[in-house]
Amino acid sequence: MVDLSLDEDQRDALQELLNISMGQAANSLAQLIETKIDISIPKITSVTPTQLYSLLFETNNSFYTRQSFLGDVHGEVMSVLSRSGLNEVAALMEYDEPLSKEDIQEIILELCNILAGACLAGLSEQLELTTNLNMPTLFSPDKGNFDELQWQHSLVMEVQFIVAISSFSMRVVFCLDDASLSRIKATLDDLLA
Amino acid sequence: MFEQLVGKLPVGIAVVDENFNIVYLNDFFLDRLPHDQRNTFKDTPIVEMFSEQGKFIKRRLKSVFVLQHPSFSYWEQRPHIFPFKSSRPITGEETQMFQNMEIIPVKDKNTGQKLACIFLQDVTAQASYFREQQRLSAALKKEHAAQRKLIRKLDSAQSQLIQAEKMASTGQLAAGIAHEINNPIGFVNANLETLSQYASHLIEICDSINEHVEGVSEEAQHFVKNLYEKNHYDLLKDDMQSLIDESTEGLTRVRDIVENLKLFSLDNNDETKDININDIANQLIKLVSTQYPEPTYKLDTPNEKIEYTGHAGMLKQALMNVVVNAAQAIENKGFIKITLADTESAITIKVLDSGIGIPEKNLSRIFEPFFTTKPEGKGQGLGLSVAYTAIEKHGGKITVNSKEGKGTVVTVTLPKNT
Repeated sequence: MVDLSLDEDQRDALQELLNISMGQAANSLAQLIETKIDISIPKITSVTPTQLYSLLFETNNSFYTRQSFLGDVHGEVMSVLSRSGLNEVAALMEYDEPLSKEDIQEIILELCNILAGACLAGLSEQLELTTNLNMPTLFSPDKGNFDELQWQHSLVMEVQFIVAISSFSMRVVFCLDDASLSRIKATLDDLLA
Repeated sequence: MFEQLVGKLPVGIAVVDENFNIVYLNDFFLDRLPHDQRNTFKDTPIVEMFSEQGKFIKRRLKSVFVLQHPSFSYWEQRPHIFPFKSSRPITGEETQMFQNMEIIPVKDKNTGQKLACIFLQDVTAQASYFREQQRLSAALKKEHAAQRKLIRKLDSAQSQLIQAEKMASTGQLAAGIAHEINNPIGFVNANLETLSQYASHLIEICDSINEHVEGVSEEAQHFVKNLYEKNHYDLLKDDMQSLIDESTEGLTRVRDIVENLKLFSLDNNDETKDININDIANQLIKLVSTQYPEPTYKLDTPNEKIEYTGHAGMLKQALMNVVVNAAQAIENKGFIKITLADTESAITIKVLDSGIGIPEKNLSRIFEPFFTTKPEGKGQGLGLSVAYTAIEKHGGKITVNSKEGKGTVVTVTLPKNT
């Protein structure tokens, strides 16, 4: 089996790239909804499927989405969006009250599309990779299914966005498949060389 | 060739510039436009041409131009962005087209101008299939829920049936026993009465002999005295009457039990007549409160007169048993409240007490004949069984709710047979 864990240099480099691309993502959203967005420092961790489940889905009062991307690297972006504060964000996105169920779904999907898209675009640009994001879908994960996933470990990159004027927050988690991880490692090595 | 290909693609393709003016529409769009617009669409703002969802289209285009990132929309949340019909204008089945939309940022290779390309997919078939599935699934769920409800109902009906069956067979048995016991009780009672008379005669004779014995020979006196002593005459004389009295009392108790058994098996010819439940309740309170003066009794009734046609004796007995139980459940202070309700279809009599309550493990057995927790001789365990059969006979229901240490509510519902 190929060793897929990052060494310290690789991790630092990736961390720096993530900082930049997440910042760009926050800017994109801020620009679109004309409000200030705070971001957490991106976290890079290695998880098992069960850990991934706990990381993402053991939160109350949240919406979940997933979105896959293809191209030079393949993977999925999963997002956890808080229910609270969503109304304020909807107003910023020019949706009229009261929000229907469909409106809420549309807002959630659009929000994660914007953020995941911006993050991925930023990261791809810095690593000089071509990626295309597919349409996001709502996700209602089942723990049992997670326990049966084929992979053992995955590198995840996690960042949290917080809309300053409301209680809304959103976590975006990137997961890569093994082949893409090898490719990223190679690219990082090239950058570091 | 590419232009032809794009033109004929089975997805809608529209290209707009940064001012949201239309630059290009492929055949998918053109075929669906009103005839007069087909040649004039160029440089028309897309949000004007499709004004119904103009605000939404504009928002999404703006996002694509600002972020330079694709935007998606699905039929589930926004089914009809462009007001297109879904095929077959002649043979019917014409519905609004369900659409998925994707907008991607593009750049004109020659001019470097920023453009946005709208892809529109007709997903009416999937959508209607999906919706049909959802409808089916909802219908199935509903049916499933109805079935579960029915199963629960069946379950409770079955246990009611078993209970009724149990009561009926015990009733028959009770009637048989009552009949069999009644005969011997009759003659034993009669015999006891005669025996009692005989006994007093005998004592009289003996006493009289004792009084007159002084006048006879010493030998005879000695003989009589010896005879009396040997047979413990004093004890015999004292004890005999009380023995007989006790036996008579015991027999009376046996007769009461048999009477109750007969009531329980409804072995009587009580005719139905019009009765006022209100009166019965008042009588009951009067009767029970003399025997059990401790609790506070209260009657809550909506009317002076609540009329019902039924077997008066049976009903009185049934309610009496319930109220007596309530009174017996109260150890020191407490209350008993009888609430009457009169609706179009039924009369409800609720007897609530603040007594000791019934332990849960006993609740399922309280209607069983001979089930009692009272000490021996204090209760026969027939009260509620009698009540149950009586109420059942009227097509009614009797239910008990109880909480240990808090109290008990017995609810009797009598349907009106009009």
